[in-house]
Amino acid sequence: MFGLLEGEGFTRVRSTVVPGFAFPKESTRDAAEAYGVKAVLFTAQRPAT
Amino acid sequence: MTDLALLHAEEQAPLEGVIKGEVLRMYQEVAEHPEGEFHFYHGRQAAEMFGYEREWLDRAPPGAVASFAGVGNPHLRSRLQAGEVVLDLGSGAGLDSIIAGWQVGPTGRVIGVDLNPTMCRKAEAHAAASGVRMACHEGRMEDLPLPDSSVDVVISNGVINLSFRKRTVIGELFRVLRPGGRLSITDIVSAKQLSQSIVNDPKLWAS
Repeated sequence: MFGLLEGEGFTRVRSTVVPGFAFPKESTRDAAEAYGVKAVLFTAQRPAT
Repeated sequence: MTDLALLHAEEQAPLEGVIKGEVLRMYQEVAEHPEGEFHFYHGRQAAEMFGYEREWLDRAPPGAVASFAGVGNPHLRSRLQAGEVVLDLGSGAGLDSIIAGWQVGPTGRVIGVDLNPTMCRKAEAHAAASGVRMACHEGRMEDLPLPDSSVDVVISNGVINLSFRKRTVIGELFRVLRPGGRLSITDIVSAKQLSQSIVNDPKLWAS
């Protein structure tokens, strides 16, 4: 996502992992961990000119 | 688009339709039966987990809170100002639109876009009950039903990961934002390439 935002021309792209994000079921949680699944907050700006 | 990419997109088209249907079904289920069990946390429990202010959750219509199905809190970094025009991409039952509407006030407005027209009507009703100016448009995030440079801020919560065409979605966000406009979105990302069996499973896309 970070790369997509920068590639489109957005500036000031920032990302922060969402603390506390988890899946309620253990099986989903294990699979998500294996694939490095995270929730992330992205911010970005369209250039002014 | 290259020939190879075009071929790939055409091969994926039937699966994309199936996944769109499954996503619609899943979020309709959350809206109609929020007491159910899902693969993701939802409702007030999830909103509190992500740092939504209790005052917001107490003040918003219970139906909007119970159907919340986000993955984080885009309001933490949205820096909304009075009078701004906000696009809530994938507005669902409307909780994020309502919170944004309170921040932009009566001189601002919130535009929702959602794949599901029933959810759009529900979000508008919740927003009206909260004193928020919101108009929700049924539409696809890959082809937003909005003019160029028409919004100040885009917020979104756990929606873009549901698209097969994320690059197109990001292009659409760039198009509808005015120059100098900004976005604050929370979403799911994975560090590793997902296996084909996961990519081809509509239920996992919707969860």
